[in-house]
Amino acid sequence: MMNDAKLDFLKELANIGTGHATTALSQMLSGRLFQLVVPDAQMLPFDQAADYVGGLEQVIVGIFVVVSGDVRGHMAFLLPVDSALVLVRLLTEDDSGEINELARSALQELGNIMITSYLNALAKMTTLLMAPSVPGVAVDMAGAVWQSILAGAEVTDEVTVIRTEFFADGEAIEGHILFLPDDDDFKQIARMLGLEEV
Amino acid sequence: MTEVFVNMGQISAFKTQGILTTVGLGSCVGVTLYDDLAKVGVMGHIFLPRSRERDAGAPPGKYADTGIPAMIDEAVRLGAQRSRLKAKMAGGANLFPNLNANSTSIGTQNIEAVTEHLKKHGIAIIGKDVAGDYGRKMRFFVDTGVVTVTAIGKEAVKI
Repeated sequence: MMNDAKLDFLKELANIGTGHATTALSQMLSGRLFQLVVPDAQMLPFDQAADYVGGLEQVIVGIFVVVSGDVRGHMAFLLPVDSALVLVRLLTEDDSGEINELARSALQELGNIMITSYLNALAKMTTLLMAPSVPGVAVDMAGAVWQSILAGAEVTDEVTVIRTEFFADGEAIEGHILFLPDDDDFKQIARMLGLEEV
Repeated sequence: MTEVFVNMGQISAFKTQGILTTVGLGSCVGVTLYDDLAKVGVMGHIFLPRSRERDAGAPPGKYADTGIPAMIDEAVRLGAQRSRLKAKMAGGANLFPNLNANSTSIGTQNIEAVTEHLKKHGIAIIGKDVAGDYGRKMRFFVDTGVVTVTAIGKEAVKI
């Protein structure tokens, strides 16, 4: 089991990663500022994992990557469809209000940049390699997206989830970035940072 | 009628009446077993195809190989006759097709494993709505045996 200090360490990683990710997003959106909500780090038992994202039937956009290298794992950027449409309008000036092919590729690219920024920040701190795959994009029920991510991570009895929520100032944009490091590899991060074995 | 939500890895059942529902089936497969004479219905929400040693404490319903036998046992316990059981299934989608371009997706593996284990136990599949790249919601009405499957932006399907 993890003690509070170790959970704090995970939250700190999430803060740094998401800070870099939202800075990258801000640069794409002509300097709009984002606020981070206190990150959440948890070891979730499998039977509680499904409900973690909430609103299982609501339509969300999920951008998902597989992380390989010294630290393996899975990352996802989840946002309500309304927030995704605002981002699409700001990025492409398309205000058709639907997630069409152009919108999908804009969101894929945006997710790619954010996730890469997050991982680069962690990689720099730890000197460990963390390389994201090409992102997949799904527009679907939150439950189906999240469940597919957990299955992709082949979750056993519990899953480490590091999540940060963020909001934009002045625009209705909110989202979560989630990092699911593989358990063994995650210990490496702690070791590289001189922390005791987690 | 009472409605029970069946989460990932769970198995739930009703006798006579009740609604068994699973929301957010992505790569997971929802499976129902039904004895129409005894009016016993069981639903499972299968997460992955094969049980693994490093997850020895998992609930049986998490994996197809352990879940199908556990569902049959549950049906029999509630008074179903094994030989009368019929199965339906939904889900097994691949929401991120570009990530699985060169390998068999988990959704497809789940469909194959559930089909194989039902066959092994001599249970016919009389309805299914599987695969594709979208999530599903499945509702099983135990009084009639009807299963409805809904998806975002698609017509409801009765299986």
